[in-house]
Amino acid sequence: MLSIQAIANVWERNLMTMRTIEHLHMFSIALLLSIIIGVSVGIFIYMKPKTANPVLNFLNIVETIPDLALIVLLLPILKLGAGPTIAACVLYSILPIARNTYTGLKNVDEQYTYVAQAIGLSPREALLKVRIPMSLPLIAGGIRIALVFCMGVVTLGGLVAAGGLGTVLQNGIQLYQKDAILVAGLWTGLLAVLLDGFAGLIEKKLHERYGTW
Amino acid sequence: MQTERLFDRIDSIQLKGITKKYGEGFAVKDLDLEVIGGELLILIGPSGSGKTTTLRMINRMIEQDEGSVTINGIDTKNVDPVRLRRNIGYVIQNIGLFPHMTIGENIGLVPKLEGWNKKEIEERVKTLLEFVSLPPDMFMNRYPKQLSGGQQQRVGLARAMAMDPPLFLMDEPFGALDPILRKQLQKEFLKIKNEINRTIVFVTHDIEEALVLGDRIAIMDQGELVQVGPPEELIFNPANELVADIVDNQRKFKHMDTLKVKDLMSPFEDKYVLQAKTEACDAVDEMTKRDLETAFVFDEDALLGQVEIVDLMKCRHREEKLSELAKPIKTFQPMDSVAFALSEMKNSGEYLAIVMNSKHPVGILVSDEVLLKLI
Repeated sequence: MLSIQAIANVWERNLMTMRTIEHLHMFSIALLLSIIIGVSVGIFIYMKPKTANPVLNFLNIVETIPDLALIVLLLPILKLGAGPTIAACVLYSILPIARNTYTGLKNVDEQYTYVAQAIGLSPREALLKVRIPMSLPLIAGGIRIALVFCMGVVTLGGLVAAGGLGTVLQNGIQLYQKDAILVAGLWTGLLAVLLDGFAGLIEKKLHERYGTW
Repeated sequence: MQTERLFDRIDSIQLKGITKKYGEGFAVKDLDLEVIGGELLILIGPSGSGKTTTLRMINRMIEQDEGSVTINGIDTKNVDPVRLRRNIGYVIQNIGLFPHMTIGENIGLVPKLEGWNKKEIEERVKTLLEFVSLPPDMFMNRYPKQLSGGQQQRVGLARAMAMDPPLFLMDEPFGALDPILRKQLQKEFLKIKNEINRTIVFVTHDIEEALVLGDRIAIMDQGELVQVGPPEELIFNPANELVADIVDNQRKFKHMDTLKVKDLMSPFEDKYVLQAKTEACDAVDEMTKRDLETAFVFDEDALLGQVEIVDLMKCRHREEKLSELAKPIKTFQPMDSVAFALSEMKNSGEYLAIVMNSKHPVGILVSDEVLLKLI
């Protein structure tokens, strides 16, 4: 087993504080973009129901491309660095967020949307004041799935010089440094679990506040 | 979005030749009906008679296929539906308070959309909550699921009154409540109705409710209007069998002499019992939890009287015990005759009495319930 001293050494040698910051930096940009695009797509296909099936089918197809392949496909367009990794994250994350947003908006109990209309809310007001707030728990669920996707894809970014903790893993594999692989692997895993737990907490709070089931 | 007020008072609402088809059948067929300003018009009929459809065509929640609806001479077809609905208070059976908003936010929603400022909204919400007998400080910041059914229905009413509309549409507002609660809210609603003096169209399938509340009653069957008029006209000059059937009071009293209290009482349940030493504030919480409007106060086994949640909430700040607040209530024996019990209750103007078997409560007698069971 590794001693604390040894872990500290590996951490130092591999600049893991910097790598962690890079990692979380890419991750946050990717997740933020995913949320903005995903929720917008979800609202759009809800408002134009005819587009829902084609859009969701297309996103499903994107989802089936292996993540490594997707990053490599994006390389010629976005060059080396964080670009392809962030783009791949976003492409993967749109589906769960958009699908949950769409399902959430569609499935708001009819009695509430009926009352909203009957007491004089315009369709836009009903969307903003009733449908979206009441869909928040489900939207948060979609974001949580996206978060887990993103953690995985960002780690893969090490292969295409995106930086982040994936780089440490990649170096460890190539130079056959078992301790570096172990420390970086465990740390990446722990980060993912922590972030997921945090997202789960938010989701639970939203359920208590906005959930009706 | 701020909308201009459409009308300050209702002179008349005219429904002319209204038809609404559903597939091959008619929900409403060539209906002519006038609602006179200031009246409470009841729409009653068997299910599928088109009463709710008719109501919903007034605020354009359903658009008619043929015919026109005019309010004060203005064809509703020419009015923006959002603007129309903000001038009409709407109350439905399942209330539909938004679960993610507090009571205050629910009531203040439309005023907020109309661009009122925070203070105006808060004042309005407080006034309305007091009007429906819910102390604002206690209820404004609660969420709907923390309220009992009766309290939610009061909030529903307050929300409908938010923009001070000259017209109310009510679709079986008390239909989902238990008989005791329903009777109590009807009593209060009647008081409110007289105070606000607005035009109300009210759908129900409960003839007792119709006779108590309605200025005029419109009876519908299979999408058509059968007869419309004041209650006594329907009782004395029914247009056909159906009307006679719906309003006939004769049969109700046929077996009255032979019936005993025990035949018509509702069973007594432990949830109605509160102990004399309970403080008023605790009693309010307890009654909210048990979804009660009225409870009976006992000192150990001895009956002291009844308390109503509306009265308890008024003395919220004092730590009074229920023993001081309980109002006397009539008691009957199971073998008393119903006719006797009802006339006693009528004389004292009470609608509730308790049935005691020597010292133990065994049932509750609700005057309206008794009449319904006799039909």
